[in-house]
Amino acid sequence: MTIEKTQEYSINIGPQHTSTHGVFRMVVNLDGEVVTKVEPKIGYLHRGLEKVAESRTYTQFIPYTDRLDYLAGPHNSLGYVQAVEKLMGIEVPERAEYLRVIFAELGRVASHLFMIASGSLDICGWTPWSYCTRDRERILDLFEMTAGNRMTMNYFRIGGVSHDVPDEFMPALRSFIEDMPEMSEEYYGIFFGNEIVQSRMKSVGILPQELAENLLITGASLRASGVQYDVRKAEPYGIYDRFDFNVPVLYGCDTYDRHFIRLLELQESRKILQQALRDIPEGPVMAKVAKVIKPPVGKVYHRVENPKGEMGWYIVSNGTTKPDRVRIRPGAFVNVQMLPAIAIGWKIQDLITIFASMDLVLGEVDK
Amino acid sequence: MDALNNLFVNIAAAIRGLFADSHSFGADLTINSIVFIVLFLIMVVSAMFLSLVERKFAHWTSQRSGPNRLGPHGWFQFIADAVKMLGKEDIIPINADKFLFKLAPMMLVGVTLMAYAVVPFGKGMVPIDLDLGIFYFMAVSSVTTLGMLIAGWSSNNKYSMLGGLRAVAQMISYEIPLLLSLLGVVMITQTFKLSSIVEAQKSVPFIFIQPLAFIIYLIACLAELNRAPFDQVQGEQEILSGPLVEYSGLRWGLFMLAEYGNVVATSAIAVSMFLGGWYGPEFLPGWLWFILKIGFMIFLMMWARWTFVRMRIDHLMHFAWKILLPLSLVNIFLTGLGIYVYELIIVRIGG
Amino acid sequence: MFGKGLIEGLRITIKRFVGPNLTEYYPEVKPNLPLRTRSSMALKPEKCIACGLCVNVCPNQVINLGSEKDENNKKVLKTYVMNMGRCLLCGLCTEACPTKALGLSQEFENAVYHREELLWDMMARSKQSNTSSGKVE
Repeated sequence: MTIEKTQEYSINIGPQHTSTHGVFRMVVNLDGEVVTKVEPKIGYLHRGLEKVAESRTYTQFIPYTDRLDYLAGPHNSLGYVQAVEKLMGIEVPERAEYLRVIFAELGRVASHLFMIASGSLDICGWTPWSYCTRDRERILDLFEMTAGNRMTMNYFRIGGVSHDVPDEFMPALRSFIEDMPEMSEEYYGIFFGNEIVQSRMKSVGILPQELAENLLITGASLRASGVQYDVRKAEPYGIYDRFDFNVPVLYGCDTYDRHFIRLLELQESRKILQQALRDIPEGPVMAKVAKVIKPPVGKVYHRVENPKGEMGWYIVSNGTTKPDRVRIRPGAFVNVQMLPAIAIGWKIQDLITIFASMDLVLGEVDK
Repeated sequence: MDALNNLFVNIAAAIRGLFADSHSFGADLTINSIVFIVLFLIMVVSAMFLSLVERKFAHWTSQRSGPNRLGPHGWFQFIADAVKMLGKEDIIPINADKFLFKLAPMMLVGVTLMAYAVVPFGKGMVPIDLDLGIFYFMAVSSVTTLGMLIAGWSSNNKYSMLGGLRAVAQMISYEIPLLLSLLGVVMITQTFKLSSIVEAQKSVPFIFIQPLAFIIYLIACLAELNRAPFDQVQGEQEILSGPLVEYSGLRWGLFMLAEYGNVVATSAIAVSMFLGGWYGPEFLPGWLWFILKIGFMIFLMMWARWTFVRMRIDHLMHFAWKILLPLSLVNIFLTGLGIYVYELIIVRIGG
Repeated sequence: MFGKGLIEGLRITIKRFVGPNLTEYYPEVKPNLPLRTRSSMALKPEKCIACGLCVNVCPNQVINLGSEKDENNKKVLKTYVMNMGRCLLCGLCTEACPTKALGLSQEFENAVYHREELLWDMMARSKQSNTSSGKVE
């Protein structure tokens, strides 16, 4: 009687799948249920934004930057306008700086809420998804009240923000900040404190600290591996050096920590929002800038702490109204390298959980 | 109330009276065919209605209102779902094994319908009162494993093959705690016959005498039915409906029929063995109490589904073999000890 | 005790199950949108001076402006067509307009069946209707 052998087979977790966050494709080699090789293939959402930037003026490009990380609201345009202001040497008024911080932190809260929601949806937890999305609706209502659109706000301009907030904004923001601790309790009770979730996510997909530093992982995934690095503290931009907040660090390096650290970062953002609401002055919201923006010849590199990682903007200007080259360094694009390195040896179900903990948005990965 | 209690028994006796000899072969054949059709209708209607109840329950836990367009507050949605499903195209993949592909859903529905034959719906309302009652039920419902494997293999698709193999591993492992938890009840009543087990619970339902067995039965039947937290056979987020991924239209509808029919059948067994069957206070007829108790069991199952996340497959097998199986053996040991002590002490004191 | 987290989850779910319902019953109950919602564009032709600033500032070349010179050698507006299939509703054109002739409005039920109907003739829309967005009520 011959002895039967088993063989490896390869499966295509394709661009249309219920749990790749967008159009992302992976070719996975499996031995039974155990993963032996993962090969990500990206580019299904490439829109050529960097090439488009070469034929738009500096102000016309701002709506396009909103479409990079579409879940984080106006946070992408923050890096872009601050880079151009650095190149031109423009001073932004105080009220505009505080409003920029408020909207950037609200975008961070919205992005982290959605990451927890989709992380729970990938392990078939439908109820935490609906609770997180229900609370994210309140932030989107705040965005709509100010600028008119919910996700792509087009609110920041070179030299400030485009207009002031309406009267009903501040009370609504205050009530949202007061409700945040109760919301965090609910998420802990239904998702993070659940024993099945903990057995599914703890000690799965370990990203050691040295590997994280070698692969240039940034953002919350780096902070869950024990490295205390946040661009807001290392190289403060805007007025972030005036705020008093901590940078949470966890040492577990596993999937559970990568999800849990976002819950902790929500509480730090709440502290920043409270301090900004307390200190915001009255005044103009836009600096005196020419209608037609023509920066001097030169290059600039500016980086901000996006919710998904560190986002870098490299702008080359040749003295005309349109830039010569705009290069975007997205945080999620560099974080994709984490997947082939740490998913070997786990089962298919763990592969999906590790993928969810990387926190990708395909708009940022593919530009 | 006695008239309402015996309503269906009286209807059956009236139909038998139409024949010359009321226990002839012709009378038996007629009654059995009518009962068969009624059981089939019960299975179909409850399956369609339960899929709508599941959607409504899911939405109510997240403060939404569920389907609310058709009918009063949306309760006619299942009619639209059935009509839509009948109108879909029947797609069979090119390299699929045609005979097995068509056989799998039919097998599952047939087996589920066979399992309804021993369920006691009320006083004297068992379709076929076998002496082997619960043993027959368990034997027949084990064949569903084979149905899932056939569906997974014959679709010629790597995702369905993964799902089919997971189904075999999971459903075989969880049948053993399921059977052993029911063994405690059988030890107390000394019979397999379901109507006698229900009658033995006249004074106190067995859930108070066998609480551990009830909990083990509840967990094991969630695993047998492939519902969350044990639904990684149809793990929608990883292998996209598992063995069912290539089925469309009415063939998929037969799978859903079998799943929800199995839900009702397993809840019916739990009600008969642990919750007192059709006994209840006198203001409602017996078969209505039976339906209400089944509704309570289905509520518990749905509550567990929409709160918990899915378990990983090796944790699931670990849970079955290393935790549930020893607990059910402990339950049998304690039941045996309890019976011995009862006969030793209490019968002596009484007699 | 093992299982405490599971029971806490069950408690939260059942609390929301019996709690209030947040659904908005849409076609019967229209939503209450904020004032500044950007859903469609509206033009007041009597205020427009045909300067062409909106055409230049639009990122996607949505606006097509046609003008002619009248007897005083001043520009007068003749045609104004917007290709709404390409419009991002970003609002840069409304900020650039010096006379505030172009504005945003709250009408959001703009779906059509043919692609040609997406080319909005803004002058005809403002004549036909009584609402500021040009939608015929």
